[in-house]
Amino acid sequence: MTLAFSLAVAVVFGSGAFLVLQRDLMRVVVGIILISNSASLFIVAAGLTQGPVPILPVPGGDGASVSDPLVQAMALTAIIITSSVTALLLSVVYRLYVSHDSVDLTDISEAEVREAEFLERDTYPEEEVEPHEEPGQEEIEERSR
Amino acid sequence: MNSWLTGSMLIVLPAGVPWALAAVCALLDGRRVWVGRVAAVGVGASFVSLVLLGWRVLSTGPVEVVAGGWPAGVGIVLRADVLGVTFAAVSVGVILVSLLYEVSAGVRSRTFPALVLFMTAGLSGLFLTGDIFNFYVFFEVSMTAAYVLTGYREQDYQVRAAFIFAIVNLFGSVVFLIAVASLYHLTGSLEMQTVAARASAVNPNSLITIAAAIFVAFCLKLGLFPFHLWLPAVYVGSHPPVAAILAGALANIGSYGLLRFGGEILPEELELGTAAVLVLGSASIIYGGLQAVSRRNTDEVLAYSTIGQAGYILLALGVGGTIGFSAAVIYAVVNSLNKTLLFLAASLRGPLVGAAFAVGAFSVVGVPPAVGFIGKIAAFKAGLAAGGTVQVVALIAVIFAGSALSFIYMFQLYQRVFLADKPGDPWQSKNTSSRRPRALVVLLAALVLAMGLWPEPLIVLSEEAATALTGSPSGGSP
Repeated sequence: MTLAFSLAVAVVFGSGAFLVLQRDLMRVVVGIILISNSASLFIVAAGLTQGPVPILPVPGGDGASVSDPLVQAMALTAIIITSSVTALLLSVVYRLYVSHDSVDLTDISEAEVREAEFLERDTYPEEEVEPHEEPGQEEIEERSR
Repeated sequence: MNSWLTGSMLIVLPAGVPWALAAVCALLDGRRVWVGRVAAVGVGASFVSLVLLGWRVLSTGPVEVVAGGWPAGVGIVLRADVLGVTFAAVSVGVILVSLLYEVSAGVRSRTFPALVLFMTAGLSGLFLTGDIFNFYVFFEVSMTAAYVLTGYREQDYQVRAAFIFAIVNLFGSVVFLIAVASLYHLTGSLEMQTVAARASAVNPNSLITIAAAIFVAFCLKLGLFPFHLWLPAVYVGSHPPVAAILAGALANIGSYGLLRFGGEILPEELELGTAAVLVLGSASIIYGGLQAVSRRNTDEVLAYSTIGQAGYILLALGVGGTIGFSAAVIYAVVNSLNKTLLFLAASLRGPLVGAAFAVGAFSVVGVPPAVGFIGKIAAFKAGLAAGGTVQVVALIAVIFAGSALSFIYMFQLYQRVFLADKPGDPWQSKNTSSRRPRALVVLLAALVLAMGLWPEPLIVLSEEAATALTGSPSGGSP
């Protein structure tokens, strides 16, 4: 049983890690979902006892072994947290999609650099273009408006 | 103290009040000034109850409550000791200052007050829990609030920074969760003290994997050298009060977690990994310092400085014992105050703001009247306490080099932000910022100076906290 669990955790975590390293943001989100779920699997595997459902009356009377209820509670909590954070991540990806029409990281950073250069040219016609400093200056742009 | 204000009440208030208010504020429009003020009252109430709780903990010892009236060992334990209360009070104080700053400058998003309240609730719950799984839950509450806060102004680069931040830190959370599950499997308990007692009976070699997982998870939060890649992107994108909250309050999770799990629950494993901890800490100090010197953007310099400063905490932790742990506590507190002051002051203009920034810069460097001096002394003391001449010399050299680097980058920054006269650069516009944010920054600078001039409370607090960790006044050997 332990071997089956550890194999499952390893495969799920590994596929998640592979997806997180992609440049498509949707894949990254799916990867994080897989990784989080591998943690839930791990929690279930960490249970101390195995047996029937831990609800009274326990089959076999008091003192009979039931499956560990604590790990199930923990796994449930972890699943809830994962699902809400996933919703947040998806909304962030959607926000990026709306402004860039793409969920590919390469496109998005290119668009950002272009935008930065454009703003730079707009604000300081004579100065050297430095995309690095853009965030701060863009902010001031907005503040001074 | 009034009879209704018992320890069990006090321990619930710091997380309970902001939590309830957060639920209300989430439904209101946070851009209205009064909503921001209500949120500030909530955070303030949390801070006051933390101070009262701290007073009680200092005078009568740790306060412990089992939630829901369950017998001990069944219910979730809330536990306040000196270490937790210190970190909670500092973090909530930092959040309070940043929230007041933002409210006086004008909140621009309807969710900001609610998010800040949620983060207050999460952080104070995290520092006041005695249960490792509960720790994880509160940790996620505050982290989730932080993910959203990073994208506060909804600029594209901020949203992208929030995405990177969320992905990297979720990864850390998963690693931590796996470590929690393994600790439960090994010890059969989730209560910190029971876990610590049972873990000490286990051969350290079999626990070292779990200890390493926990170490990696917290180093990710703290942004130490090999795990720092998300940090500059996030800080550069952030709005100043948000950056102040991230660097001053959220980073405390990392230092607190390292102290709590390394110092109290898995001390033998920490000893086993001393070399790795010291090397990573030194690497962090040097790397952060060098990168900060080479950067020109204010936020970037401060972000890399954060990486460097986190290294000192790790060094002190690696030295261990009461001296090392108390140095780590002092340094974490000092670093929170410094970074909050610097992030807030760097975006303001007007009389006294430059002076406030200079105080923060002196504090980072460790020049006497500022509180940073106390932190540096503690770090040097911890360095001297390390066993072996080679180790002592190496540590002192690293701390000295780090201080020299911080001297260079802080005053380069001061020069660029406040002294350089670049025509046409909006940073240099003669418009002074409004009075209230400036008053806040000046107050914070005064606090940094006052704590440096009268350091006894901080030193006593840190020693008490370290004693609470090691269990004996003399402490364990490194």
